[in-house]
This record gives sequence, structure tokens and C-alpha cells, in this order.
Amino acid sequence: MTTLLTPPTESPTPNPTPPVKKPRRVGRWVLFGAMIVVAIVMLYPFWVMIITSLKSESQFLSGGGFSWLSWSSLTSVIPIGQEVLSSTIVCSASILIILCVGLPAGFAFAKLRFRMSTVVFLVIVSAMMVPLQAILMPEFVNVTRLHLTGGYLGAIIVYASLGTPFSVFLFTTYFRGVPDELIEAGIVDGLGYFGALWRLVLPIAVPAIATVTVLQFIQIWDDLLVGLLFIQNTSERPITVGLAVLAAGRTTSIPQLMAGSLISALPAMLVYLGFQRYLVKGLTMGIDR
Amino acid sequence: MAEITFDGVTKVFGDDVRAVDELSLHVAEGEFMVLVGPSGCGKTTALRMLAGLEDITSGSISIGGHVVNNVLPKDRDVAMVFQNYALYPQMTVAQNMGFALKIRGQSKAEVAKKVGEAAAILRLTEYLDRRPKALSGGQRQRVAMGRAIVRSPQAFLMDEPLSNLDAQLRVEMRLEIARIQRLLGVATVYVTHDQIEAMTMGDRVAVMRGGKLQQCDTPQDLYDHPKNDFVAGFMGSPPMNLLRVALEAHDDGVVLVLGSQRLVVPPSYATSHELPKVDGPGVVFGIRPEDVEVLDGSAPESITTRIERREALGAEILVHLSMVDAVGNDAIVVNDSGAVVARPTTLVAKMGPRSGVSVGDHLQVRLNPDHFHFFDADSGLSLRRVR
Repeated sequence: MTTLLTPPTESPTPNPTPPVKKPRRVGRWVLFGAMIVVAIVMLYPFWVMIITSLKSESQFLSGGGFSWLSWSSLTSVIPIGQEVLSSTIVCSASILIILCVGLPAGFAFAKLRFRMSTVVFLVIVSAMMVPLQAILMPEFVNVTRLHLTGGYLGAIIVYASLGTPFSVFLFTTYFRGVPDELIEAGIVDGLGYFGALWRLVLPIAVPAIATVTVLQFIQIWDDLLVGLLFIQNTSERPITVGLAVLAAGRTTSIPQLMAGSLISALPAMLVYLGFQRYLVKGLTMGIDR
Repeated sequence: MAEITFDGVTKVFGDDVRAVDELSLHVAEGEFMVLVGPSGCGKTTALRMLAGLEDITSGSISIGGHVVNNVLPKDRDVAMVFQNYALYPQMTVAQNMGFALKIRGQSKAEVAKKVGEAAAILRLTEYLDRRPKALSGGQRQRVAMGRAIVRSPQAFLMDEPLSNLDAQLRVEMRLEIARIQRLLGVATVYVTHDQIEAMTMGDRVAVMRGGKLQQCDTPQDLYDHPKNDFVAGFMGSPPMNLLRVALEAHDDGVVLVLGSQRLVVPPSYATSHELPKVDGPGVVFGIRPEDVEVLDGSAPESITTRIERREALGAEILVHLSMVDAVGNDAIVVNDSGAVVARPTTLVAKMGPRSGVSVGDHLQVRLNPDHFHFFDADSGLSLRRVR
């Protein structure tokens, strides 16, 4: 006798009601609301800067009307083009040095075994903790003795020195996450350590390079103190010094100052926006390991 | 193609960690040598020294008759396959495979030709334009092999290349690697902790433990004639049963004392083995699971056991048997005195998939007298005199 086995019939069940997600949705709205508030707090000064820069001096004082006067007269008050160029030169050269030193140093600390490497690394990284103001005077004395306080070079050296410890730290952290085997495979394939750094590691280190570039760019571009002290040739002064001069004038035009400040802020904002996606990756690296 | 020789090679990390201790090994041209052993036995360190990725503390390594102790990795003309494949993520499969040739300044046409040939061997032709992240584990593994093949090196070095694959793919790739190695005839040193890989792939297998080479032989010789109890216990799945037992005089010969039971040692072992004196410290007695025969009823040369554990593997059942005394009152009579916590010594036996045995059943087993192994109780060395 054969017995037909039939699968047990499932009793009809009512459609399950979707789980209640109310608390999560409320939390999301609260978070969204908080973010809007933060955005307003952050963006309001920019709004004020833009509106103020679009007024003439009299319109600013009276409160009504708009005019391009402060923008059109800005170049006659300060050499804004030259100052932006100076800031660009100082920024680019400093960042180039920071990357050129930080990349191989980070690679060496992360991937090579050598005596006292941990101690040397800690000494370099501890330099990050020293505030600029604390070493400003000795730095000034040193750079003056080297007769480098006139043009760009003194400021570039100071900025590069100040930024290198951070870049070494960031690149070391990043390269520690790169598998040793990747570099060893390159070495067995025929590369030296520099070859492995240049041809294998560099292409995958874009987030770290972008992070160092953006953070250092913002820091150097916005800095006033070093530019003020170390670049004494007026024809080579950066934009921040130019704006400070404008603000310190006998009669300060607030709309002109706002127009200059916007020009000054724009490059840093563009760099940040351009590299934003790498920046998050670069700053959070190491957290998930 | 070349032969490889390790001559008294030692690697010391720090002041006193001897990762590899006086390793002497010869790999002939075209030979597939497997280094096998548990974690920390020094097999990977030995391979890395051969590749030039670790310095040698003492001894020498030669490839093709030339000592390479101070030769840079790139000049050793060896290709290495890593456990995690180490593919260059920013390059396509073709670029990965041709990278070493490009570095060496070969023309684009030549690189493309060699990459194409290797891709055909590895069945990778349709994936040449993909990046590693768009490949499966098995495909990545094949690309890593391809990167090694295109160089036509003097030797292949492989560091646990199948460890990251699932069981089924591992079996496939095992055959694939062995096929390619035989096709190319290049001396290969293959590191693994998996003794099944070692047994199935290697022309010869070198078993390592604690930095020292224990034995280097063909897989069958290792299995049949282990030089010590470590090799006996490491090679084979399930491994050899090893029991620490005393010897007693019996008529003209000796018997093994298994609790209240006695197992006669055939007289031939007195000549083929250097058995210790009776009433001495005893020996370590070894028997492979397949040489433990389960009997239907009682027989003169059988011993009484009880099933402690049963593992159904589908094609066979492994039973873990403890020895009980002849009366059958379940008293466990043999304890492993070497263990930190005393535990009953068990024998593992293989049974047919449909033998309806269960835990607690009593079984009569016969230990195949042709395949007894004896090891020194202290040193663990085989007591076998001749081979």
C-alpha cells in the first residue's frame, strides 16, 4: 500500500500588520530638525556676508538697496588678485612639501621595520600637540637668521613644518590598513620600496591625500599669523593679511571687507566641496578595523 | 626552472624566538613540495625567507645552485601567490597579470601575448578587463596564479592560497593548481596547514613543528611510516590513534596492556622494531582508524570497547571507542596519563554509513596486526628499525 504524503496545508493567516516604526520616524524628524538649526547657524554668517557685500557704504549704513560698488572698488583698495595668487602659491608649495614628506614617512612607519621606529613616530606625532603660538617666536628668530622673512619661502617652511606631523600621522594610519601582502607582491614582482609606494600604494591612497590636502589647505589659507609675520614684502602678502590691512585701515568699509572675505573664503569652500567624499573616508579610516 | 635548497636555515625573531630551526630541505626541479604543520610551526617564515621577504639568521638558501641569502626578492626570479591573493585593486586582471613583465621592460605585445596564454590556461580570458573587486574568490585566486605563471619564474611559492575559499571551491582549486604545476613543471613550494591539501597535492610533504622539520617524504610514506608520533597524529583524517601503553611478557613475545585486556604483538615486530623492555616505561602505540576493524562477534584477538561518541559523516561513521574491561561492566580501564586532566583513551574507528550503532553500545574490535606503529614514550620517535 502506498501512502500519498501531502504537505500540510497552511492555515490561512491574516496579513501581518507592518511593525510600528513610529519612534524611529519621530527620532528621524528630531534629527532632521536639529540639522536644519545647525545649518542655519552655520550658513547665516555667509548670508550676511553676501548681502552686506552687495551694498555700498551708504546703503550699508542706511540699510536699504543693493549695489556692486564694493565689489568693483575692491581692487583699487587692495591688490586682491595678487594676494589670492600669493595665498595660492604659499598653500600649494606648503601642501606639496607636506605630502612629499608625509607620504614616504607614513609608508615607512607603517610598513618598514627599523630600530626605534615607534619612538621616532611618537616624537613626530607629538609635535601635533604643540600650538603654533608657543613656537612662533623661536620660529621667527630662526627664519629671520636664515634671511627668509621677506618672501614666500619662510612662510612655506613654517607651514610645511607645522603640517607635516599631522600628515605623517594620517598617512601612517592609512597605510597600516593596506595589506602587507600587497606591497610584498609588488616587491616579489620586481619593485623596490619606492616603486611599491609610487605605483601600488599611491593610487589607493587618494582618500588620505585628499584629506591631508583639504585640511591643510583650509588651515593655511585661513591663517593670518604666519603670513603676517613671515611674509614682510607687501607685494607677496596673502589674502588674509590683505583683509587684515583692510580692516585695520583708518576708515574700514564693511561691504568691501565682506566682499574680500567672500573671495578669501571661496577657494577653501570649493576645495572642501570638491574633496568632501574622500574627506569622510580619510578621516574615518581605521575606525572599522 | 631550478632546484631549491635550504641548508641549515635558521630564523630568530627578537632575541630568542626561533621561528625556523636548522631547516635543511631540497626541492628538485619540477617538484611540488608542500610545507605543512600547525600554526606557528615556521612554514610561512621558511617560505618568506625563500622569497626574500625575511632575512635569514643563519644557514643558506639556494635557487638553481646560487646562494640567494643576499639577493633582493626581485632578483630571485621567484613568483609568489599570497593567502589573500594581494591583487592590485586599481588594475584590471590583465594589468595585474602583466605587471611584473611591464616592470621588466617587456614590450606591450609580448606582455599581451603572455597574459593571453596564461589567461587561457586559467580560463580567465573573458575576465581580463575586470577589476579584482568584480571577481569571485575562485577567480581572484586564479588571477593570483596567473600573475605568477606569466613570469615563467624559476620557482612558484604559494602561501596557503586556498585558505580563503569555501570547501567545494578549495577542492576544485586544489586540482587546478596541481594540474597547472604539472603542466608547467616549475619547482613549487606550497605552504598549508591542511594535511589533506598536503597529501593530495604534494610530490613530497615536509612536516614542520616548532620551527623544526619533522619529516619529509612522499605522502604515502609519511602516512605509512611516520618518523614520530607528531607526524603520525598530524597526517591523516581522522589522525592515527595513539595510546600510551605498557608492555608485558607473554610466552615468547610481548603483549600490550590495555587496562585489563591484553593485545598480542606479533613476533615480527620484535625484529622490525626496537621495542623497549617489558615492565619499562611503555611505548606509544599507534593504529590508523581504518585498521581498527569492528567485528560482528567475539574473536580471540579482539578487544572490548564501548562507543563514547558517534560522528556521522555521510559516507562513513566515525566512532570514538573507549576500552572497557572484558566483563563489560563499563569501567573505563585505560586513561591517558599524558594528559593534564586524566581522560579515557579512545580509539577512533570507521564504520559503514548504515551500521546502526549508537553511543553506549559495546563493540568487539580487532586491531590489524600488520599495521601497528610504535613510538618511544619519551622522545616520540618511531621505534621502527628498517624501512
